[in-house]
Amino acid sequence: MKIDLAVIGQGAVSPAGIGVDALLHREPVPASVAALGRPDQPWPVLRVDLNDPAFARRQREPRLRRASSITFFLIEAAEQALAGTSPADRAQTGLIVAFSAGCVTYSRRFFEGLATQGTASPALFPETVFNSPVSHVASVLGLNGAAYAIVGDETAWVAALRTAAIWLQSERVRQVLVLGAEEFDPIVLDAYRSARWLRRQSSAHGFLASEGAAGILVRRSGSEDAPGIATARDGSIYRTKKEVSAAAEYLLSGSALALPCYRSAQHNWSASLERKATEKRTIVSMEDQPYLGEAFTASAAWHTLRALAVLTPRLPRLLLPVWGLNHQFGLLELETRPKVPSTRAR
Amino acid sequence: MSHRIVVTGLGAVTPLGETFAASWNALIAGRDAAAPLDLFDTTGCRCHCAAGAVLPPLPYLSAKATRRLPRASRLAIPAAREALASARLLDAEGRSLLPELPISVSTTAGGMAFGEDFLRRVLARDRSHHFSRVSRYLPQQQVLDLQQALGFAGHSVIIANACASGANAIGHAADLIAVGAADCVLTGGFEALTELVFVGFDCLQTTSIDRCRPFDLNRSGLLLGEGAAFVVLESAEHAQRRGAASLCYLTGYGHATDFHHLTQPQPDGAALVDVMRAAAAQARVAPAQIGYVNAHGTATPANDGVEAKAYGAFFGDALGATRISSTKAAIGHTLGAAGAVEALFAIEALRSGRLPPQINLETPIPEIAPALVGEKETSGDMRHVMSVNLGFGGSNAALVFSRSSPP
Repeated sequence: MKIDLAVIGQGAVSPAGIGVDALLHREPVPASVAALGRPDQPWPVLRVDLNDPAFARRQREPRLRRASSITFFLIEAAEQALAGTSPADRAQTGLIVAFSAGCVTYSRRFFEGLATQGTASPALFPETVFNSPVSHVASVLGLNGAAYAIVGDETAWVAALRTAAIWLQSERVRQVLVLGAEEFDPIVLDAYRSARWLRRQSSAHGFLASEGAAGILVRRSGSEDAPGIATARDGSIYRTKKEVSAAAEYLLSGSALALPCYRSAQHNWSASLERKATEKRTIVSMEDQPYLGEAFTASAAWHTLRALAVLTPRLPRLLLPVWGLNHQFGLLELETRPKVPSTRAR
Repeated sequence: MSHRIVVTGLGAVTPLGETFAASWNALIAGRDAAAPLDLFDTTGCRCHCAAGAVLPPLPYLSAKATRRLPRASRLAIPAAREALASARLLDAEGRSLLPELPISVSTTAGGMAFGEDFLRRVLARDRSHHFSRVSRYLPQQQVLDLQQALGFAGHSVIIANACASGANAIGHAADLIAVGAADCVLTGGFEALTELVFVGFDCLQTTSIDRCRPFDLNRSGLLLGEGAAFVVLESAEHAQRRGAASLCYLTGYGHATDFHHLTQPQPDGAALVDVMRAAAAQARVAPAQIGYVNAHGTATPANDGVEAKAYGAFFGDALGATRISSTKAAIGHTLGAAGAVEALFAIEALRSGRLPPQINLETPIPEIAPALVGEKETSGDMRHVMSVNLGFGGSNAALVFSRSSPP
């Protein structure tokens, strides 16, 4: 589907640091270690430094006294993307946040209290709802228009971008802030371990669990000289390994072979699939950029920002596959504009 | 809306019935589905009742495939199948005639019972067979269950805006069609009762230990429910091309966010008034032209008073002429499915002229008392109805359905 979005603001929070520039640095990102279940089996993970001064101001907000880290990641990324927008524009800004696990910390803590101690905390329960962080962002940043929490695997990011395009076409809002965010919790490690997706400390195989957020502020293409997202596709579904290759093939079959492709899959099971599915295309590799781990919708958003950063007049169009790990594959087509965009990212 | 949007198919599984027709007939008869809950242990809770659904058999799936489904999918698949069948979009094998059928769907907890089971096993240091539980609890897996059971793929979106999600999902489907991004969309919501959610509402003391009494001065809380409901929306042109009968038009959708509090609406209901005005404006109808409102009406002390005020502000002098009821007294609060189930009830009220009664009412809130639907009320001349939902996080949404398209 053609979505024709102009990207006029960007923001990011990742284990590489605060801001979009940190995503583009080439220094490796150090992993910390988290244990699950058995303490003799620690797993390397990539975490955001919550002691960063960027978060301090928001941690004093009364509304956010119970909010978990995902809310702080989102607010920081959103503020970066919205930097410089006028109050009038903010009043006409829609908000869409894509999640996979969402505010899983509170769900885990709430149910763990129930299962182990027979207690249920009324302070925790409201924060377990997927759209609680969205509500916090909307409240703190004064965005009282349309707001959706969209859920899925990495391709929820694609659905969020498509939804933004629909809102803009229907003139519900003037601009849309689209974000992806995930937070780390030990239960997430347990889940990945059960899927045999994790990388052991001594191994180069498997992925590192990660966390963070990223987002873009978009308007209808043509309204701004800015890089853009021309098309968004998803719906290439799979359940079993047998269905995976056909789904990947189907995904890319609709795009001209001449279009260069950004390879985003690293250290997860879709990496080999991506290599095979894109072997006949010109590849723009991210291998010189540090691995940021797997943070699902946040990863999809990070990859989008990194891919936008490599667009130049000589590389005006680029395919970005979005490899969903639990439902379907998606594909974005990014494009540059005649003028070099000014970036408001930090 | 640039394309006229018609409703061509309806399907639901609710605590009142395994099909939409059965649910509607029981609703109109004034039945409620509150019963002691035996899906999980409620020891220690204040409330021990809920409106549970009977899971319909799925003869079109193998026993093995059915066993692997979370309860949420057991509710969603038959409801979606009924909607597609009533829109005449299924082939003889029960597969979608549109292989690329977009879906816009809502839930709040997805297959949470599988997630609960996974966490229990982790806490018990049981490392066996985790993945089958955790991989299939996420909401996209229920969408995949629907897609595979009914034989379609295509764009999907899962909206999790708490208890307004169902209205958002339907509204979003309408937006897709209105801008020409889709000709036909399967849309709706699903929710299964789970321990985490039940205990969560119970610990907030929002569940009632009495009858669920929406808009009653002595209301004491909600009745949790479960279910699924789906609608087939199409552009009028698409429906006409394939000779599908139009049940009604979706003419208006409004949604906005209320910042006031994570779990409580702004005391004057201003955000809700705004979304009702937005939906009515899009439908090009005046409040007085709206014959029936399926209200959110949770029967919590915090919600219903605010909602009643919002109706007073929106309808003004026309409030007494408008008929309003909350069907949550009968089927419970189905959370992520609520907006969809209740939209179907509003549609059927528009089509049949029969109005869902406000059951369990003893002492109505005075501001809204004249508008509440009594037993066996009918209204044959309604042209427009509205379905309204509010949710945690301040999500507010309203849909307008009409007998004809806007001028």
